[in-house]
Amino acid sequence: MLPMPPLGPPSRREPLTSRREALTLLGAGIALAAGGCTKPSEEIVPYVRMPERLLPGVPVRYATSLSLGGFARGVHAIAVDGRPIKIEGNPLHPASRGATDVFAEAAILDLYDPDRSRTVTEHKSGIASWEMFERALAGPLARARSRNGAGFHLLTGRVTSPTLLRQIASLLRAMPDAVWHVHEPVDDTHATRGTVRAFGRSLRVLPRLDRAEVVLCVGADPLGPGPDQIRLASGFAERRRDPGRFGRLYVAESALTQTGIKADARRALPPHAQAALLVACANALGAGLPAPDASEAVRRFAEAVAADLTAHRGRALVLVGPALAPEHHALAHWINARLDAPVDVIEPPDRMDGRTPAGLTALAAALDSGTVEGLAILDCNPVLTGGPDLDLGSRIGRAAFSVHAGTHGDETAGATHWHLPLAHELEGWSDLRAVDGTASLVQPLIRPLYGARSIHEIVALFGESPARSGYDLVRETWHETWSETWRESRPAREAAAFEAWWRQSLHDGVIAGSAAAAITVADSAPPSLPPRMGAGFTVELRPDPCLWDGRFSNNAWLQECPKPISKQVWGNALALSRGEADRRGVGAGDVVRLSVPGRTVEVPVAVESGVADGVGVLTLGSGRARAGAIGNGIGADAYRLVSRAERWLVTPVDLAATGRTGAVLRTQNYVQVEGETAKLFRQIDLADLATATPKGIGADQPSLIEAWTGDADGHAWAMAIDTNACIGCNACVVACQSENNVPVVGPEEIARGRMMHWLRIDLYDAGTPEAVKAGFQPVPCMHCEHAPCEPVCPVAASVHDGEGLNLQVYNRCVGTRFCQANCPYKVRRFNFFGYADGQEYANLDAEPIRAQRNPNVTVRARGVMEKCTYCVQRIATERQGAERDGRAMNDVVTACQSACPTRAITFSDLARPGNPVSALRADPRHYALLEELNTRPRTTYLANLRAPNPDWAEDHT
Amino acid sequence: MVQIFRPGADTVVRFVLASLATVPVFAVGGAYAVWRSPYVTGQGVTREQPVPFSHAHHVGGLGLDCRYCHTAVEKAAFAGIPPTDTCMSCHSQIWTNAPMLAPVRTSLAEGRPLRWRRVHTLPGYVYFNHAVHVAKGVGCTTCHGEIQTMKLVRQAAPLTMGWCLDCHRDPAPNLRARDAVFDTAWTAPADQAALGEQRLKEYHIRSPERLSECSLCHR
Repeated sequence: MLPMPPLGPPSRREPLTSRREALTLLGAGIALAAGGCTKPSEEIVPYVRMPERLLPGVPVRYATSLSLGGFARGVHAIAVDGRPIKIEGNPLHPASRGATDVFAEAAILDLYDPDRSRTVTEHKSGIASWEMFERALAGPLARARSRNGAGFHLLTGRVTSPTLLRQIASLLRAMPDAVWHVHEPVDDTHATRGTVRAFGRSLRVLPRLDRAEVVLCVGADPLGPGPDQIRLASGFAERRRDPGRFGRLYVAESALTQTGIKADARRALPPHAQAALLVACANALGAGLPAPDASEAVRRFAEAVAADLTAHRGRALVLVGPALAPEHHALAHWINARLDAPVDVIEPPDRMDGRTPAGLTALAAALDSGTVEGLAILDCNPVLTGGPDLDLGSRIGRAAFSVHAGTHGDETAGATHWHLPLAHELEGWSDLRAVDGTASLVQPLIRPLYGARSIHEIVALFGESPARSGYDLVRETWHETWSETWRESRPAREAAAFEAWWRQSLHDGVIAGSAAAAITVADSAPPSLPPRMGAGFTVELRPDPCLWDGRFSNNAWLQECPKPISKQVWGNALALSRGEADRRGVGAGDVVRLSVPGRTVEVPVAVESGVADGVGVLTLGSGRARAGAIGNGIGADAYRLVSRAERWLVTPVDLAATGRTGAVLRTQNYVQVEGETAKLFRQIDLADLATATPKGIGADQPSLIEAWTGDADGHAWAMAIDTNACIGCNACVVACQSENNVPVVGPEEIARGRMMHWLRIDLYDAGTPEAVKAGFQPVPCMHCEHAPCEPVCPVAASVHDGEGLNLQVYNRCVGTRFCQANCPYKVRRFNFFGYADGQEYANLDAEPIRAQRNPNVTVRARGVMEKCTYCVQRIATERQGAERDGRAMNDVVTACQSACPTRAITFSDLARPGNPVSALRADPRHYALLEELNTRPRTTYLANLRAPNPDWAEDHT
Repeated sequence: MVQIFRPGADTVVRFVLASLATVPVFAVGGAYAVWRSPYVTGQGVTREQPVPFSHAHHVGGLGLDCRYCHTAVEKAAFAGIPPTDTCMSCHSQIWTNAPMLAPVRTSLAEGRPLRWRRVHTLPGYVYFNHAVHVAKGVGCTTCHGEIQTMKLVRQAAPLTMGWCLDCHRDPAPNLRARDAVFDTAWTAPADQAALGEQRLKEYHIRSPERLSECSLCHR
């Protein structure tokens, strides 16, 4: 025990505050508190000249297009008072069909990203201007021109824009010896080479999932992220709505994909076994190839699949993933020809007549040889995505003059002499083509926020003609095309006719009749096979379902968007099977070092269901060094494993435990509920559908609470979610976030088990980790008629309205969280901090971000509960419009519903005769979640359907 | 025995006991009074404006219709504040050199908007809709007061939730014929009680229960 210190006179310390100061502070505090009661002085700033037909505060929709990997998805961008706030699908566009994907939804946040580059910069002197760049460019450009362009290199991503292709073509005409390189990180090299082998030239093959009934996917993920996701998923789901055309989906893959979840029969196979399966399948169809080295199970699977495919000639299809060799792609084309498969073969939309762009390897070689005088890198990030063996970060330094144009000062911007700020797609004019070749215009909704220029205006700087506006360049392209194509009809007043056509194309968001025509291709013999893939542990790389190739890694919505299968947020992890992890002595969360000669990457392990033994799966796009405040240092950079020879499969890889552990943050925990899964997530075999009966919401059960009656003049809003159509793509999750001002909480808060998404997608698996029988279940608020959250609120902040909405009154809420505790569906979200209001994550408090917010939705403060409102603002807007005009209410479309590519979400008014939700409630697949609790939910579900092969008992539900 | 308390101590104790009972009542009452006072609600407060625009002159004197300037009032939630162009449609012809109008001329010349001070401020979580109120026969002066007499606009009503609900629970006394909505001189006729009831049906105005639901104004 310590002796007590001796007592002495107190040491004379200066008090923290003198009495006089304390009184002053007290007085000031009282004065401020009283002053805080008065209303703040606000300003109203009207226009000087108001644009015609503009209504203040009323959203306006514009049709435009957004690109993913160079391909267009048509969208409607919604602006309020000149501020773009939301993206929705364009029903007229074939790659959107009125729906969106996560990347399109999140593009609006990218526009307001505070980390966007705001000025022209020069690597030594820093901030510069466009004029300074033009002066600096003049010398190297004149020298390049004098040598016919020798030494001038242009690097772009995949280009489908007719205007950009026209500009590049004219640039290459002026400088014939200049070289154009194309580098798209998520490439389709193997697929393209496959068509070269099968058809003799590079073509694009578009699968028609709306017509294909029996589908075999070998490592392919048609329902997964990508520029064609919406079209494929929509076709797939529409066909499956008809039980007579349900068909059967066979999937063989290394780790679960969204397609794998929807499969009726799925096998987890490492890539070499996938290849063997494909060959065995082809042999069963008479290819006569050498018998593959496949296990008995794979052979049996292949034969059964081949039999099923042959039985459905004309409606059967085989798809092969990007990781398989070009020969395997060619083999799939051969099989598809045998099967008369529903595929459209078209000329690639990213093709320029008479010129094949060079690749990244050629650029690295040119840089090594020291012949590169000028290098322009437009809207791509090869330093990140090129892989370490190309080492472009240091090689670019060998160019005499280099310039990078991009929306962010990324890894490549750090390596070039100049960096130019590129306008966002919502800021400039352009045009794009969709995967099927359909052209659409890109129109700006807002002037560039930071003096950036569009890619067309930047390319124009390299040309001979003086700087032109993007609008003029795009319009000129289409005037030429229009004149060539439509001149036969000889319109009387050509200028007026073109103007009408142009306005119609802008209004519709698509250029009518511009889709590529399907061509017929000659059949060929089955290709010879590539050598068997090397044995050893393989790492399969995939584009990230939320970050794609890394270009979205500074987008906080996408970083916090749970990955469809793993539900991981803020980072990536190496997916391993339980058996593989045990064999290697690593567990979930252990950080392992993956090494191939000369390159290593350290990444935490995630043990997941449905992963093949001998394979690890890792997604690209994380671990960036120069993404911005959101994306820097999140996750591990899988590009470290990429080599110029092979982008998607890395083998053999040495896996060693580091002894450290890392966090794998997830929004859904893995729990086993014995016997409950079948109740929570109803799955029916197609064969049993005829005998299935709809399950109600439990309205026939006795209750002490009075039955909900609503109001005489009211509506009764309800939602039905078809789990069979849901592909777990998360478009609804991000759409809800964008519509409802749902904040991002950041990785630290996620680690504490907190999240804010109003809509989550749960993953249920009725099978085993080896044989997955899983499905997706989106869970918004159920708007229970007998809501358990309501009686427990001490301040009546959780109340019902006459239309059956369970409301959360933010201003009454005192944050007891009783409602959250009493909600059996766990859909209530609590603002532990001011996530949206003063305590934002990272740089999300920056001024530009506020411009994204939906002015029709309250931004919630700290200490307030929130949850799905069924988009009450959209209901209110429609109701007010109806009241104003004295008409009946039209349909209300919630944000999640409008985003859904498969139309899995239906929302309507039960009180209206013939409404779709009432019809779905009578569907034999109908059921309510936890209906035994007598909550009488308004949100109900349709069961998942499976059509397992009748010969395999193990696949039955 | 020594007296511990002085004779006056009783008074002190009585005073303290009385205070314990009364002070909280007065404190709550006082706070409530302050909360509802014009000091907090802004009722009756006139705000200085960059241009001393007089509704008394333009509306009361010249008889301009409300919709000449507030163009969106029948279509949108926000009634709209006129762009500088609207002012100059007349003032390029009359009072072209009035010093009072110098900021308006500068605004047009320099393309810089006038910055008016907001008089009627609602909290961010209140979503008021002008178009619906106008369509349902609620006149401008019902909420905005005798605007035709105001030299500078002041907030006539307290704009508290209680004040809103007073009308939402019993709208009949404030319902006008549709052609009288913008009539600043409107006063309730003698048979307003009967007319109001009739208009409730005619305009399909919902029940007081529905009109006082949270989701009507809050989202």
